[in-house]
Amino acid sequence: MRLKTSLLKEAKHKELVSCVGWTTADELYSCSEDHQILKWNLLTSETSLVVKLQEDIYPTDLHWFPKTVGGKKQTQAEVFVLTSTDGKFHLASKTGRIEKSVEAHKGAVLAGRWNYDGSALITAGEDGQIKIWSKSGMLRSTLAQQGSPVYSVAWGPDSDRILYTSGRQLVIKPLQPSAKVIQWRSHDGVILKVDWNSVNDLILSGGEDCKYKVWDSYGHLLYTSSSHDYPVTSLSWAPDGEVFAVGSFNTLRLCDKTGWSYALEKPNTGSVFSLAWSVDGTQLAGACGNGHVIFAHVVEQHWEWKNFVITLTKRRTMQVRNVVNDAVDVLEFRDRVIKASLAHGHLVVTTSLQCYVYNSRNWNTPLIFDLKEGTVSLILQAEKHFLLVDGAGLYMFSYEGRLICSPKFPGMRADILNAQVVSLSNDTIAVRDKSDERVIFLFDTLTGKALGDGQPFIHKREVLEIALDQCSPSSERKIALIDKNRDLYLTYVHRHGREHKVCKIGTMVHTMVWNDAANILCGIQGNQFTVWYYPSAVFTDKELLPKTLYMKDGSEFSRAPHILSYVGTKVTVRQGDGSLIYISVSPYPALLHEYSAAARWEDALRLCRFAKDPSLWVCLACMAMASRELTTAEVAYTAIGEVPRVQYINFIKEQPSKESSLAHTLLFSGQVQEAEATLLQADLIYQAIQVNINLSNWERALELAVKHKTHVDTVLAYREKFLQKFGRKETNKRFLQYAEGVEVDWEKIQAKIEMELSKERERAANASVRSSIAPRR
Amino acid sequence: MAKDPLAEAGFHFDELNKLRILEPEVSQKTTELKEECKEFVDKIGHFQKIVGGLIELVDELAKEAETEKMKAIGARNLLKSVAKQREAQQQQLQALIAEKKMQLERYRIEYEALSKVEAEQNEFIDQFILQK
Repeated sequence: MRLKTSLLKEAKHKELVSCVGWTTADELYSCSEDHQILKWNLLTSETSLVVKLQEDIYPTDLHWFPKTVGGKKQTQAEVFVLTSTDGKFHLASKTGRIEKSVEAHKGAVLAGRWNYDGSALITAGEDGQIKIWSKSGMLRSTLAQQGSPVYSVAWGPDSDRILYTSGRQLVIKPLQPSAKVIQWRSHDGVILKVDWNSVNDLILSGGEDCKYKVWDSYGHLLYTSSSHDYPVTSLSWAPDGEVFAVGSFNTLRLCDKTGWSYALEKPNTGSVFSLAWSVDGTQLAGACGNGHVIFAHVVEQHWEWKNFVITLTKRRTMQVRNVVNDAVDVLEFRDRVIKASLAHGHLVVTTSLQCYVYNSRNWNTPLIFDLKEGTVSLILQAEKHFLLVDGAGLYMFSYEGRLICSPKFPGMRADILNAQVVSLSNDTIAVRDKSDERVIFLFDTLTGKALGDGQPFIHKREVLEIALDQCSPSSERKIALIDKNRDLYLTYVHRHGREHKVCKIGTMVHTMVWNDAANILCGIQGNQFTVWYYPSAVFTDKELLPKTLYMKDGSEFSRAPHILSYVGTKVTVRQGDGSLIYISVSPYPALLHEYSAAARWEDALRLCRFAKDPSLWVCLACMAMASRELTTAEVAYTAIGEVPRVQYINFIKEQPSKESSLAHTLLFSGQVQEAEATLLQADLIYQAIQVNINLSNWERALELAVKHKTHVDTVLAYREKFLQKFGRKETNKRFLQYAEGVEVDWEKIQAKIEMELSKERERAANASVRSSIAPRR
Repeated sequence: MAKDPLAEAGFHFDELNKLRILEPEVSQKTTELKEECKEFVDKIGHFQKIVGGLIELVDELAKEAETEKMKAIGARNLLKSVAKQREAQQQQLQALIAEKKMQLERYRIEYEALSKVEAEQNEFIDQFILQK
């Protein structure tokens, strides 16, 4: 990926250009110290004078009023704020007419920024003050005051906090007066520019120590650049938060959000005082010290999937290379490419007006449909359909180009969604809420309605990342999530009328990705590269989960590795320094998943015997247990030497009735309540009581016995035995109470138990006779 | 010689016997002086002209010398700035080289990772064939 820059031969401005701002993706306004405001039209490459300002206005900063707010178009006429060195800020219309000038600061006003919904304006001045103004330019409050000039200011993602510079320190100040201020020393020189992205919540800062740094919103340092030759005079996040641009003397740099640099350009610009990305994130403009305005766009982005490599060669052209036979196809588009995604055999490309869908088998005839709003910020693909996210909402499309649905939820802000907090599978969309980060909304892809009873899933902590598995049947769709403590959890999307069973399967997990063709999860846990061959093992046999893992030492990875994709057996990891590395994972687990999904247990067993990998045997055991395939499970457990489990499986097999064996299978995976419910449903009261007794769940056992008026003495007898064994006395009041009226007679009890068991056997026999008669009819 | 009563009265006769009130000698000297003065003025005038020409010439020369001097200074400065420019250019190229080096390093790591994957896959294939 690199920047392609264009610079006119002759500078249009006579003095240094101090600020630039985009109105649309093809129109830019620039302000200079020669008092001129110029309008640049990129479609016609014309430059026209908008207005010549009064001689005493030297502009310092320009910011357009935000155009869309949460998907709704602003009705207000287009205006921008222009700050100047005489201590005023001016609200000006698109024609350049100054609607209002407000005396704001002593000395120059150095920065002026609208918040995201345009309801407030913030200005910072040389006098060290930061003031908040209403939309119409009325002073609301002075938010902060300090002894040194404030060079730059930025709004937080929710417009509830601001970030500003204070000499060598950065300060995050919430608008609420009582909330805590975060302040930290961040550079060795005066900080000149800051920016805060609303999509990824990361902070950028650059200053006279010639470095730029990336921070998270808590002030933790994520990246620091090496020292440049000149001070960093400008920086700006691309709107989607994937890349950012850095400007310095004769220097323009394009960097990844993790800080490493994609490309460096050395244009003849003088110092770049201000940088601005167009709303769709395709164009970049810089205000140059020698009167030029530099334009740049990003080219040579790559997309890879299996044997296809796609490169954006020009703004409107892509090149597809099939590395197997070296065939090259060239795709042409009518407009600039804004976003593209390649997965599941399909390439989805959005331009400002249209969406193109290509099938990897045929690059000649794309399916084309028009888009309502051009600025698609995110494309997610699943096997059967894909999701487009733009400022206004989420749209589900089939690969045939049909709009399937458009899920909505209260407080939705589609403009700040990123791939970490939205996940798509064939039948489910999951979206993490922004206002309460513990909440995950789940939608059906076909109807766009919330799943189940419409209640979102609420985790106990803030969730950072979510991912849906790609290939289970829809009733067993699972979602993996990483919370604020970096713990990895797994849960079912459908709760089947019960509470969500959320199981922790990993700690210190920084990144995770599901495989595209099997329910295998890979992630980086601490500094171990980990593959969960069968994550659902946690629901059937929790203790064996660690044995289903494939761990590889990841200490060779440099700082902050991030998994990009897990396709087939290949895992692609992006390291902190920007290099890609590939890890191949054994193909056997995926095969095993295939066999178990198709219930080909014989083949599965053969595969395990062939591969001789203990973790495969464990996976098979858990899979077989999950599908209640006891024979296979027995073989698998034997292979890994889990004798107690084999014995228990034999015990389950010996159960007289189907219900009992089902209950015990459930018990095997620790689902006590479900097991009990199964037994009670089948009217096997005694068995239910016995289950509770065996688990020393005395109170529940007694409760059941009393409720159904049977086997109270059995419970009491077992309780007595239990207490004797430990040499303790009965203290539970309920037991004491019932013990008074009931006499314990072991012989009688044994007889009763025997009777219950024979009754069950008889019933089971009848049932099997009945079921064998039924088909004959 | 007896005194000429006319001469006493201040009248004289010249050679052409015209009546004069100045002594003919004085008159002759005066005329001579006048002639000489005229000659002198002429000579001075000529001298001035020559000097003027000289001054002009010298001025011109001075001007030329000045421009040449400026040129020399300019050239010298240019030379100095070229050195500086080269330095700046070098710096820029250096920065670009550093960037490319970093990219190369990234590619090297990627290549190593891919070679490793290749080796692993070959091993896997060998094993697979052997076991069958």
